[in-house]
Amino acid sequence: MSTATVSAKSTPPATAGHGVNFFRVLDSEFIKFRTLLSTKILVLGTFVAIVGVAMLAALARWSIINQMTSTEGPGGQKMTPQQAAESIPAGQAFELYNLPNAGLNIGILVLGSLAVLFIASEFATGMIRSTFNAAPDRLSTFAAKAVVLVVVSYVLSIAGGALSFLLAAPMFTGMGLDLDWGTDGVLYSLLTGGLYVSGVALIGLSLGTLLKNSAGGITILVAIMFVLPFAGSFLAFVPGDFWKYVPQYLPSEAGGRFLSIGHADGILDPWQGGLIFLGYVILFLVPAMFALKKRDV
Amino acid sequence: MIEAHGLRKVYGEKTAVDGVSFTVQPGKVTGFLGPNGAGKSTTMRMIMGLDRPTAGSVTVNGLPYARHKAPLHQVGALLDAKAVHTSRSAYNHLRAMAATHGIPKKRIDEVIDMTGLSAVAKKKAGGFSLGMGQRLGIANALLGDPQTLILDEPVNGLDPEGVLWVRNLARYLAREGKTVFISSHLMSEMAQTADQLIVIGRGRIIADTTVEALIESQTRKRTLVRTPDTSRLGVLLAGEGVRVDQNEPETLEVSGIDPRRIAELALENRVLVYELTPLTSSLEEAYFQLTRDEVEYHSHLESHAGQAPGPLNGGSGTGAYRMSDAEAAAMEGSQR
Repeated sequence: MSTATVSAKSTPPATAGHGVNFFRVLDSEFIKFRTLLSTKILVLGTFVAIVGVAMLAALARWSIINQMTSTEGPGGQKMTPQQAAESIPAGQAFELYNLPNAGLNIGILVLGSLAVLFIASEFATGMIRSTFNAAPDRLSTFAAKAVVLVVVSYVLSIAGGALSFLLAAPMFTGMGLDLDWGTDGVLYSLLTGGLYVSGVALIGLSLGTLLKNSAGGITILVAIMFVLPFAGSFLAFVPGDFWKYVPQYLPSEAGGRFLSIGHADGILDPWQGGLIFLGYVILFLVPAMFALKKRDV
Repeated sequence: MIEAHGLRKVYGEKTAVDGVSFTVQPGKVTGFLGPNGAGKSTTMRMIMGLDRPTAGSVTVNGLPYARHKAPLHQVGALLDAKAVHTSRSAYNHLRAMAATHGIPKKRIDEVIDMTGLSAVAKKKAGGFSLGMGQRLGIANALLGDPQTLILDEPVNGLDPEGVLWVRNLARYLAREGKTVFISSHLMSEMAQTADQLIVIGRGRIIADTTVEALIESQTRKRTLVRTPDTSRLGVLLAGEGVRVDQNEPETLEVSGIDPRRIAELALENRVLVYELTPLTSSLEEAYFQLTRDEVEYHSHLESHAGQAPGPLNGGSGTGAYRMSDAEAAAMEGSQR
């Protein structure tokens, strides 16, 4: 700075009230999130879809139990509703306590895609340049987007799950089954369900960052969360016991296991599933942050 | 104040910016001039920390851009009129940008007013015309009332009133003591706006000077000579540093020799000359002179018309033909 005329003017006081900080970037990202009409419609639609799908899934469980109790088994006696409910194999996320998460896959699909879009659309429109001009350290923007997505995903999943359970539980209590908020695993699965969706949203954000492309990011996210487990299910047909145990380590399976309770032989415990899923989230987040920091935009 | 030292950017095989060093001073409008693909935008993106230089460094107001605590108050940039999410309204875009620095709502309204966007501020930015997009980009740049302003091709797509507005704005901000750095490929625009010119071609700085000095340095004193016997006079004038061009019948454009000497030669050799007019170059011609070899993408037409359509030959592409020295010499034999 050689000229005196400038130095007086060139540095507006960089006081705390003046500059950029994480909370301001977070505020900016929340403004971005809620000022897109498409996002608002998508969030509302997701809520409706989570509850709607949960009701259908509950109806399916109800009719299975209903069928088992109304038809005579091989022994000539009918099952009680309790026996029917318990005959559902553990660890398949089909137990009644898991009802809050019955519509969760829709949440994963939509919120995961929304997460990809949240950053990929900025690359597509060039908005990312304005964003990084305002917050040139870049990682604060990534962290702020992550916080927005985690909060939105968590709140939406919990609200959708709670409403699903409130609406579905009377169907089963009406059969004489014991099912309320105090039932083992209900509250646990509701709270962990939100974490799972948040984790998928973070994977989506990372994919959007790495690929800078909405369509590509969403395709890969769907492949990871929905196509891989489908493909993995065929591994059970491979001779040898080893392959049978592989699919449970996939992100969707490990994450899904995290939402259930109880131990079952041969499959991961819930906390192990949770840790493996967390590992996957970090596996995507770290390269994405690295790429965002280093790449030209 | 912007200071670049040995700034270099290589994309794969291609060197976009090849070790440029320059200083952009406050209190002046500095034009950054160069043909398309010369490296203007890449240089500006490196200033803003968006592209990482392959080598070299650049500081704004004494610090690399990313190290400023309040970057929007230091530098406002219009790098790309499309740096806006298409589905968000102009007002909400500015609101999100302002939030990062805690800039009050009042300032958002101010820049919207200042850029004449009031009527469309609540509309989606994706529906904006190029000109409106530019205005929004400029509003975005002014948001933090920055000390340094970087505008990449700001007049692109603006109507004449908008062009005048950008020109006045740039000059006003410079008078306020701010650093104003404007890129353009339009010489005519820079001639009216800039005080200082940095000319870039193929990633290299080819001139860093004032507008007047650039014209002065690049102007070869030329003389329009009308004579019925162009080929004979051409041969007589030929010599070291003399250039003879023929654009019209019976008309020569001669540079490298003064009008008096031309008249003397004509008189000694009894060649009729019925007009002898000294010509001065415009800034535009000086610019073409300077960047002729530095243009990245030559248009096909240009290889026939050495001088791009400018004020001198009417810009109508009338088949103007400029002879090089060698061609002029070769023509001597064939004519008459």
